[in-house]
Amino acid sequence: MTRTRSPLLLVAALLAPAIAGLVVFRLYPIALAVSDSFFNMVRGHQVFVGVGNYLSLIADSAFWKSLQVTFWFNLLINPIQIALSLGLALLYVQKFRGIALYRFLFLIPIGVSLPVAVIIWRIMLSQDGLVNGLIGIAGIPAQPWLTSESFALYSIIAIATWKGISYWMIFIIGGLQNISTEIYEAARLDGAVAWQRLWHITIPLLRPTLLFVLVADVSINFLLFAPIFMLTQGGPADSTNVLMYEAYKSGFVFGDMGRAMAIIVVVVLILLVIVGLQFRLLNGKQEKK
Amino acid sequence: MKGANVKTVKLSILAGLVASFFAGTALAQDKTLNMIVIEGGDTTAMQAVVDAYKASHPGIAINLQSYPFAQFFQVAELRLRSADAGIDLVYVDAPLMASYASRGFLSPIDPGIDTSSLVPSALDAGKYDGKQYALPINNSAQVMFYNKTLFEKAGITPPTGLTAGQTSTQGDVDKLASTERWTWEQVADAAQKLTVKDGGRTTTYGFSVEQFAELYQLQPFGESLGTDVIGPDGYTAKGYLDSEAWTKAATYWSELYSSGVSPKGLGYGEGAQLFGNGQLAMFAGGTWNLPILAATGVDFGVAPYPYFAGGKVLTPTGSWYVGVNVASANQTEAMDFASYLTTNAEGTKVWFDALQQLPTYKPLLDTISTSADFDVFPKNVFRLGVYDSLNTAKARPVTAAYGQLQDAFRTAFTDISNGVAVSEALKSAVQKFETAANRVAK
Repeated sequence: MTRTRSPLLLVAALLAPAIAGLVVFRLYPIALAVSDSFFNMVRGHQVFVGVGNYLSLIADSAFWKSLQVTFWFNLLINPIQIALSLGLALLYVQKFRGIALYRFLFLIPIGVSLPVAVIIWRIMLSQDGLVNGLIGIAGIPAQPWLTSESFALYSIIAIATWKGISYWMIFIIGGLQNISTEIYEAARLDGAVAWQRLWHITIPLLRPTLLFVLVADVSINFLLFAPIFMLTQGGPADSTNVLMYEAYKSGFVFGDMGRAMAIIVVVVLILLVIVGLQFRLLNGKQEKK
Repeated sequence: MKGANVKTVKLSILAGLVASFFAGTALAQDKTLNMIVIEGGDTTAMQAVVDAYKASHPGIAINLQSYPFAQFFQVAELRLRSADAGIDLVYVDAPLMASYASRGFLSPIDPGIDTSSLVPSALDAGKYDGKQYALPINNSAQVMFYNKTLFEKAGITPPTGLTAGQTSTQGDVDKLASTERWTWEQVADAAQKLTVKDGGRTTTYGFSVEQFAELYQLQPFGESLGTDVIGPDGYTAKGYLDSEAWTKAATYWSELYSSGVSPKGLGYGEGAQLFGNGQLAMFAGGTWNLPILAATGVDFGVAPYPYFAGGKVLTPTGSWYVGVNVASANQTEAMDFASYLTTNAEGTKVWFDALQQLPTYKPLLDTISTSADFDVFPKNVFRLGVYDSLNTAKARPVTAAYGQLQDAFRTAFTDISNGVAVSEALKSAVQKFETAANRVAK
């Protein structure tokens, strides 16, 4: 019996911790959310209501408004964050005087925890804050950044973007450094100008990196909660009431866990569809070449 | 922080080991009760009561788990819902009692506990479906603090109130509260004149409430004009929160902010801070601010909580209750401590001395009314609380959907202060509350 042992056992053993983590921290909560969404708490008892919680969401205007806010928020923040992190990454790999300072500055937001960043921004965006002081110098009157329906969502996008882009920048830098400089040299010899090199070489070759950043960024932004919880509580007039906040309020403030879980399941389903589409689109294009 | 925690944990484990070594042969009925409370003064006061209790009940240890105000409700909700046996006693906010009781989180209070010494209205607010589920720890009363110096500087006559160096009997205070109470119109008028702006920045605000946009603080606004915030069924807001009375009240509120006499979005404790810094001329807040403000050196007076001209005088009331978690394995012991905290002469006195909150224990109220100790300012302010709690206090609505109401109300009044139209904000609040409440009502 000298047959080499199958590596299956070894593979299983090596994967076990990761799979256990995935099951305990990802699949189990999702399964729990799905099962809880079929129940309601009535007078201290769990009552099975089937798809009742989902049906009531259909007639629930607060849910639809919140869905709309969530989509609008993501439609704006994801392209902005990815475009800016790509721009930052391109700048980061350049070589010019003072680049070290620039690199240092753009890595700072990664080192600041989100709640701390949010608190600092809240102070800066307050009525008597730094931002209003600066625009005051230019003669512009103070603006209600976080307390007006027309500004609040965009202020949150700005804060989340400030916090997020340097993180995504690091992944893109990794991708950029994988592109061989010879390709650029060849293109330069062929007379390709900077934007042509970006469009025809950098972006196509960055596709796998960009796909990862896109998927991860969309998931994170879809589930964004802390800045909204800390700054606006979904207001003013529900203008920042994304689905995650609506679910939180339903479950933890109103004790209506059935509705909260139904919303969470809807969020997960939407995310799965979006991520699936993203994989399809970005992989599909590559295969055609 | 982390290091300190680890140290504390290690220390407490060590202490536990040492204690168990010595207690190895001690009484078999040794028990530890766990209670969740709000961080800060409430925890300090509760610890004082616990210490007093321990002296006469050596077999019982009570461990307080304190949470910041902002997180307390979520934590309580989660732990009670999951039938967490790690909590025996629960600190219950008056209006949430119905929500907890309706979902079966609290044990009915042991009928053996004699509650005849408690203020009946406060006791009633601890009932759901005719059954007592929680006992009142104390009551609350709101007054209006005013900065005498700022009034003098602006050349306006301040409201009549209780001030430093003055003594007053309960009779004097009753007369003041029933005849000299300012109207909200007078407050707005004075606030306008007291507000000082310096190049776009406000250096002195005329007026602010303590609990920004909160139902507790603002319920008397609309209700004193004649319409309750929700209907008697506990689930209808249409015709109530969007009524003419509430529209008038909300318009008054919106003008406080559009005219700039009130600072927007004050957080917990920030009003007292502004007042203490001399940047706020009038401040409608709880009597619990007295010790804080007395320590600031601001020369202030205390006037009764205002009302709308032509309306009824109504004042905020209700405070914290104690209940026993259904899931607790120590029902008898927990009930006994709840009884000590609320109906025992010693327990209630220790609590009052530590926290200086208006009591619900009648013998203590009598002491406040009659004892010479309470003749002098600022202690005579408690007599204002006694008058209001007996004459003008209006409890919050009893509804299992109180959390939903509180949230819809807060959102509407925050939005209004930020410039959203009154009718739109109230309409949206009605709709939101009724949708959410109907899910509880079924």
